[in-house]
Amino acid sequence: MPPEISLMLHPTFGMLAVLAAVWVFVEVLNAREGSLRRIRLASLGVAALLWLAYVSGGYWYVVHYAADKAVIKAGPWPFAHGFFMEAKEHLFFSLLLLGTYLPMAASDSRLPGDQGVRRLLLTVALLVVLLGLAMEGMGAVISLGVREGLMAR
Amino acid sequence: MTIPPKYITSFGLSLALVNLFNAALVVLKETDEGVLAGMKAATGHHWVTHGLVLLALFVALGWLLTYLKPARRAGEPSGVAVAVLVSTVLGDMVIAGYFLVAGWLGAAA
Repeated sequence: MPPEISLMLHPTFGMLAVLAAVWVFVEVLNAREGSLRRIRLASLGVAALLWLAYVSGGYWYVVHYAADKAVIKAGPWPFAHGFFMEAKEHLFFSLLLLGTYLPMAASDSRLPGDQGVRRLLLTVALLVVLLGLAMEGMGAVISLGVREGLMAR
Repeated sequence: MTIPPKYITSFGLSLALVNLFNAALVVLKETDEGVLAGMKAATGHHWVTHGLVLLALFVALGWLLTYLKPARRAGEPSGVAVAVLVSTVLGDMVIAGYFLVAGWLGAAA
């Protein structure tokens, strides 16, 4: 796979996962028997999209990132790697596990009546949204770090 | 398909524990070259090993915790929500804080 493709797929899957998590959040706010199927489907979507983001981004990171890392570190924005990439690659694991857990929590037999289960789902979905948006922002800074590095050559 | 509540609780608490372990493993491998080298040697890349360890731990703890009787609120969905929220915020703050401080010290040095 060309590196540019996996590089574009990673944030695309990530943003779709964020949108699916927003969908879960809104459905849970108004949860009733009729919305259970949508909640469970959207939760599965969050998990699947985050795993796709993990595989596509991970492939690019492990196989192709070394060249970009060298450009960033030699350029005027070394913090794009030193802080943003280093933090992003490890914070992503929290996001992946939250996304993996979401469909499990959505499969709880106590839904839709149990307030505690709804609170749990809202918490996990909100964390996925916030962490997902943070990942997108950090990815943008990393891309700018590469561009700044190339422009400085 | 529905999942029995005991698994929702056990895997939620497992998620909370793995979030904290993630932060601890980041600090450990970044400060101990032996650990980092070992993680690189295991799969060829420390990040791949890191991910595999966390996923294996999440599954193992989630399974094991089903055999424990949860204490007070920890076993209720609201308690699991608090555990997940606090561990995610705390763990992620440790990770971001570590690289912020390490980057600042590196720049200052």
